[in-house]
Amino acid sequence: MQRQIPLTIVLVMGIVMMVQFFIPHPISRSLFELVNKWARLIGVFALILGAGSLIFYHLTKIQRKAKGWGFSIVALTSLAFMTVVGWLAGPRSMGNPAALYQVIYANVQVPLGASMFAILAFYIVSASYRAFRARNREATILLVAAFLVMLGSVPLGKDIWDHFPKISDMLLKIPNMAAKRGITFGIGLAGTGVALRIILGIERGWLGGGK
Amino acid sequence: MTANAPEKKTFWQWLATIDRRILYLVMCLVVVIPLIAMLRSTVEVTSPVQDVFNAIESLAVHQKPLLVSVDFDPTSRAEMYPMLTAILRHAFARRVKVVELGIWQTGFGLAQRALNETATEYGMKYGEDYVFLGFKVGVDAVILGMGENIKKTFPVDARKIPLDSSPMMSSIRKLSDFGLIVSISAGTPGYQDWLLYAQARYHVRTAAGTTAVSAADAYPYLGSGQLTGLLAGMKGAAEYEALDAQHGFKQASTLASTAMPALSYAHIAIIILVIIGNIGFFASRRRK
Amino acid sequence: MHISTDPWIWISALLTFCIFSFLVKDNPLYKFAEHVFVGVSMGYTIVVVTWSTAWPDLFEPLFVRNFAEVSIGAKVLLVIPMIMGLFYFAAFIPKINWTMRIPMSFLYGYAMGVYIPSDIQANLLKQIRDTLLTPSWLTNRLPQDMKATVALVAHTRSFNTIVDALLMFIRGPEGSRGGIGPLIILIGAIATITYFIFSREHKGILKPVANTGIIFLMIGFGASFGYTVMARLSLFIGQVQFLLHDWLGVI
Repeated sequence: MQRQIPLTIVLVMGIVMMVQFFIPHPISRSLFELVNKWARLIGVFALILGAGSLIFYHLTKIQRKAKGWGFSIVALTSLAFMTVVGWLAGPRSMGNPAALYQVIYANVQVPLGASMFAILAFYIVSASYRAFRARNREATILLVAAFLVMLGSVPLGKDIWDHFPKISDMLLKIPNMAAKRGITFGIGLAGTGVALRIILGIERGWLGGGK
Repeated sequence: MTANAPEKKTFWQWLATIDRRILYLVMCLVVVIPLIAMLRSTVEVTSPVQDVFNAIESLAVHQKPLLVSVDFDPTSRAEMYPMLTAILRHAFARRVKVVELGIWQTGFGLAQRALNETATEYGMKYGEDYVFLGFKVGVDAVILGMGENIKKTFPVDARKIPLDSSPMMSSIRKLSDFGLIVSISAGTPGYQDWLLYAQARYHVRTAAGTTAVSAADAYPYLGSGQLTGLLAGMKGAAEYEALDAQHGFKQASTLASTAMPALSYAHIAIIILVIIGNIGFFASRRRK
Repeated sequence: MHISTDPWIWISALLTFCIFSFLVKDNPLYKFAEHVFVGVSMGYTIVVVTWSTAWPDLFEPLFVRNFAEVSIGAKVLLVIPMIMGLFYFAAFIPKINWTMRIPMSFLYGYAMGVYIPSDIQANLLKQIRDTLLTPSWLTNRLPQDMKATVALVAHTRSFNTIVDALLMFIRGPEGSRGGIGPLIILIGAIATITYFIFSREHKGILKPVANTGIIFLMIGFGASFGYTVMARLSLFIGQVQFLLHDWLGVI
């Protein structure tokens, strides 16, 4: 029962949603709208669970006084402060950029997030310099293609030679597209295959362990 | 000389193993100096970007509204925000009605800021010229719900104003009422979800602005016509800003265009460093 | 130079430097900023999810609005997803933690069901249609583009013109989808898929086809790498623009 009920639900839901795609009848559309709404609402609880997991992880770290537990206090304090401030602001605060939590978002979360990914620029420089070696034919092709695309996609590349953008454009639209199309076919076939396996109950990894 | 004295590096070995701090310093200099010097460069517009521009121009001609989906968060702000503002400026300059939403909860604030900023620049009226739907949980469910009935998915907008009371929403009931969907997306969920569900199912014209990382992967969809056009990274944003400038649309900021010289020099620096690294590597290997 | 007097800009700038300090080495300032980011992001997510979906679509119509505004039937239709959602929390109760599978199965069934027809359309049928060669390409496009290529080379013999002729040969006139490009795309797509067939050894006819696939993949990955470099540099340039413009007022 513990496996049969979920497997039955996934089978029924999967088939209903697949068949619904082909039935434009108003009853079918109403059912579709209802299921869409339920999916959105259930998704809310999944997000709550995610937040709960994060809180639980940091609380455990603090309780055990594990390495870096002081920073867990920082994380939980920031979380609590942001949540309380946001909840107190009320539902209409969503449309108000001057609400405190929106200001904190704009001046704390945005620069922090942007900076975290900004430092990747340095790592890519360092990694390219150290690891990008034309050791064999394939690596050389990759290197040459990368250089051509890099030179073709900046204005200075055009100043150096006005054909760099054209060559870059050709590389992107023909051999790159061919390769990525092959990968897209693979994704399409594999995606449909995995989806069917889940619906038919062949793929059961999502059930987790236990009975 | 002691037995454990470190072996002196040859010039070629040093060339292949330059200290990372020197690399970081070089990178900072090639970025900061062009920005401070306020160098400018001419940006050539490529066909995928021109296609997006033409698509929005056709909305103005045929009086069709535009749906902009903000599918990025602060981590990709530098590339995506200029793209978003350039497109919004174009739409407002041509008096195309804009509906904006986000399917990333952490991008909500940026979506709202871009819309408010550009709408104020052009004196647009909320509810008549533009509406911000905000965010709803459940990517596919949101897109599919909008495909059937927008007002059932978003009964109220982000300002908690019922959609029924917004004059411009009286003629927009479902996704197919839009002339174009532009997804400014930094990953998953993003333009691929709009293609899978909005374009494949409801046959709405879709264009995308993506980070440069995922731009090369979008070419199959561009080639097949599933994507009407494509903006790739900061360069794509600069190209769109150039198009806006060419057509005389006012722009309070042109972040992407001003970054192009710095981007150019940084690219050249990386190419030179990779070549130096390879020379050092092969030369020191040969000497062994 | 007009240094900002806005305290929020200063906070943003200082947090930026806290993150950049990681380039020197991992340090408490970086860790502090990282944990603030984690906390603030999750808090913001909770608030946005609450006011955008949880409150207006579930809790308010179910518990706040009366039966005159929301019918009993509508409320029952909201109770069902709420109960399913609450099953997620059964994860913490060992005796009934299997019930967590119920909302998961609903979402999986829904997601897989809507995905399959859309995926077949978008990632297979349309892509296959665009990859196939058409008779009009063979009879009209290709001969026209070959003639134009020959005319270009016949006119002048400079290096730039030879490159232009080569580009014309490969992709046709600018903006078109001509030349031998469609044929290259067909061969490349088939070769790439062939490379990923790992259930058979790559020998005989498979070997050269798979090797051709590798070449196309290397070009594709090279293009992706080139663009990735641009992406990462752009993100850094964006933050430098913030520091130089918003904070220091230098540009």
